[in-house]
Amino acid sequence: MKGIAVALLLLATAPLYADYTPFYLGLLTEVLVFGLFALAYDVLLGGTGVLSLGHSAFLGVAAYTTGILLARWRTPLELSLLAGALAGLATSGLLGVLVLRKRGVYLAMLTLALSQVFYYVVLMWTPVTGGTDGLGNLPILHLSEPLGWRLSKRPITRYYVVVAVIVLAMLAIRHLHASPLGRVMRAVKANEARAAACGYDTRRVKLVAFLISGFFSGLAGALLTVVLEFVPIENIHWSMSGSVLIMTLFGGTGTLLGPFVGAGVFIWMRDFLSKHLEYWEVFVGGAFVLIVLFLPDGIVGSLQRWLARRRGAPAQPAAAPVEPARLARPRPPAGAPAMDGALLESRGLTKIFGGLTAVNGVDFQVRRGELRSVIGPNGAGKTTFFNLLTGVLPPTRGQIFFKGREVTGLPAHAVSRLGLARSYQVTNIFGDLSVFENVRIAVQSRVTHYRCWGRADRLAAVSARADEILRLLGLEARRHVRCAELSHGEQRYLEIGIALATDPDFLLLDEPTAGMSPEETQRTAAFVRGLASHVTIVLVEHDMDVVMGISDRITVLNYGQVLAEGTPAEIRANADVRRVYLRD
Amino acid sequence: MNGCILILVALGLSIVFGLMGIINFAHGIFYMLGAYAGWLTVQLTGSFWLALATAPLAVGLVGVLVERGVLRRIYGTRNANFAGVLVTYGLAIMIPDLVRMTFGRPGKPFAVPAALTGSLFRLGAIDVHAYRVFILAVTAVLLPALWLLLNRTNLGLVIRAGTSDNLMVQLLGIDVARTWTITYALGAALAALAGVITAPLVAVAPEMGGLVLIECFIVTVVGGMGSFVGAVAGGLIIGEALALTGMLYDVLADVVIYLAMALVLLVRPRGLFGQEGMSEE
Repeated sequence: MKGIAVALLLLATAPLYADYTPFYLGLLTEVLVFGLFALAYDVLLGGTGVLSLGHSAFLGVAAYTTGILLARWRTPLELSLLAGALAGLATSGLLGVLVLRKRGVYLAMLTLALSQVFYYVVLMWTPVTGGTDGLGNLPILHLSEPLGWRLSKRPITRYYVVVAVIVLAMLAIRHLHASPLGRVMRAVKANEARAAACGYDTRRVKLVAFLISGFFSGLAGALLTVVLEFVPIENIHWSMSGSVLIMTLFGGTGTLLGPFVGAGVFIWMRDFLSKHLEYWEVFVGGAFVLIVLFLPDGIVGSLQRWLARRRGAPAQPAAAPVEPARLARPRPPAGAPAMDGALLESRGLTKIFGGLTAVNGVDFQVRRGELRSVIGPNGAGKTTFFNLLTGVLPPTRGQIFFKGREVTGLPAHAVSRLGLARSYQVTNIFGDLSVFENVRIAVQSRVTHYRCWGRADRLAAVSARADEILRLLGLEARRHVRCAELSHGEQRYLEIGIALATDPDFLLLDEPTAGMSPEETQRTAAFVRGLASHVTIVLVEHDMDVVMGISDRITVLNYGQVLAEGTPAEIRANADVRRVYLRD
Repeated sequence: MNGCILILVALGLSIVFGLMGIINFAHGIFYMLGAYAGWLTVQLTGSFWLALATAPLAVGLVGVLVERGVLRRIYGTRNANFAGVLVTYGLAIMIPDLVRMTFGRPGKPFAVPAALTGSLFRLGAIDVHAYRVFILAVTAVLLPALWLLLNRTNLGLVIRAGTSDNLMVQLLGIDVARTWTITYALGAALAALAGVITAPLVAVAPEMGGLVLIECFIVTVVGGMGSFVGAVAGGLIIGEALALTGMLYDVLADVVIYLAMALVLLVRPRGLFGQEGMSEE
């Protein structure tokens, strides 16, 4: 807050300092506008981890929309700005819908290629856009009648208008990052698959991020038109996408100030280097390569880390040993009437990968309140079976029913919202987030998904429930630690905790004791047994003592088929199981 | 003809992506450097045929330098694939300016070699130029050779295995690092060769890499990234689409290929010959 006040004061008084010439003021205004563009860009890159190379389209379409409105229809300034921002939003929506069918670097390539369509449209539509000459002849900019205030052409007035708009935009984006939606975006960035398993429609989250980013990029584009009183065609050329990427990474992704610093450095390079050096792009490109290789946090990000280290990072509590988990569930189980039918059922469930039938016609029923173990040799299809039940993979044949309704083919986030949660055999947590946030984001999924107003940390019930879960796991002393720094055993507990935090009626645990020491395994077994009095559990486990000790019933899979099913005693006595599984 | 060039450039892009997971933004640069290397060779020796050999060799060497000097630093880091895009993008900004610095801003004229000038024969109303037949012939020889290299040699086996499971290949005791260098250089050399043989049709200019890069993106999206057949089919489709709309209504030529790509994305996100699950949602 103090930093923001200082920045505001500096911006407000900037014109008073020495060297107040229209040229420098114009330059400062331009830096601010590009800073806003980079900030908008970072909503997508720093916020959700999506790399876009199509932002030239958002900026450019907005710049031309504003310019055309001003030039042709003499639309009032504030309406033109808004129309520009909305044009950016619409463009990003169009692009987002198409490119989000892919991910990663492939998505980046698509954004670049698709954004060029807009460039060609502008290039060919010369009568309206001015083609390669750009769009000039913008009239004196004025606000609409009711305000009655004519904006003079003096750069200082324009400077203050731009500062006002940018401060508002910055506050809005800061608010976004602290909102429940902002937290979901960060979870998607940290681990998209797990975010989906917590009930978040990750593609929609990314689309919303695209839209927000497009809106503010559009606002920057509209402001740029006002500042320059001209729309150069470079605004919509793909090299503009590269420029904003460079600005963002120069300054540091994931920071509020970084984009502005990056824009300043970039524009300094452009204007001052190019005055003395004809080939300034060599230096921009070279500096960019060096930043990516050696300073991935950017200027501001690295400074922040350096300051934090000098101040001495907030003392982290020493690694407290995991206490034996307390099993009392603070909330009574969801008051569902006892059901006689199966809570979860699969009929003829089959999954074929190429020539391999991993799961073959599995009929499977689990009653409410049961603790069922699924065992079988390696490669028996247990994990694939879990992936089918939770909607991660679509089955080749067969049906799945949960709570009496068919869920076959539902995506993972929809299955999660119905109350079916899972933990993973290979630890799959939000590595970059704190332990507390890992659990909190999962709890939040039961309250709100995509709300972009209000602060996530003011959702008191969510935070309280997350703390309860951390206590249950014995991880409360570690709540502020980045979870990638937890020990293996702690991570395994957190793994279960994230699943529990979605308040499921049904919990699939995929080898919770994988890689644990014998003592940890025993404690985990007791923990799982304790959970079973609150939630229906299906457990995949290799440790036979655990399985025989805590299961109500056991299903044995072999080569993707059900070999046997029964109580631990029955399974122990089953000749088929002994022959195939225990190999005697 | 466009199609042939596109196939050669897109193949390199596709092979490198398949193996290394990196979208190589510097690929267009290799194409442009190839054209310059060819121009330089012709200036110094007067032989176009020699240029066909020197350009791929020289640019292949540049590819080795880029892979060893820059890309090697990011393997295994967090978000290595993103960083790969970013550093190659930085190179794509840097190198054209270096070329401008060395050779000047204006493009360089590059004459069609004397032996291949003029029309070979007439097909209906159309003159078939000898040089265009030459490009076809080069592609027709190179493609099967490349296919054999990828499918019938040890190197090809390692590349294809590395594409599907890199870690496993390393565990088998194969020097993957060397394979990556070779593959990257191979892609660069292919692009350079395409650059030399295009040079007589267009002026050699520092900007020529950027355009071809985007067209190759479209080719690989349409055909399917990482697929040999996909690059060939995509190159033919996009090349023909460019040529046909160019003939009929050239204002649309630039846009039509983007629409083709959008259509493929909507109907078949993995591309015509792409493998299931390749970077898909």
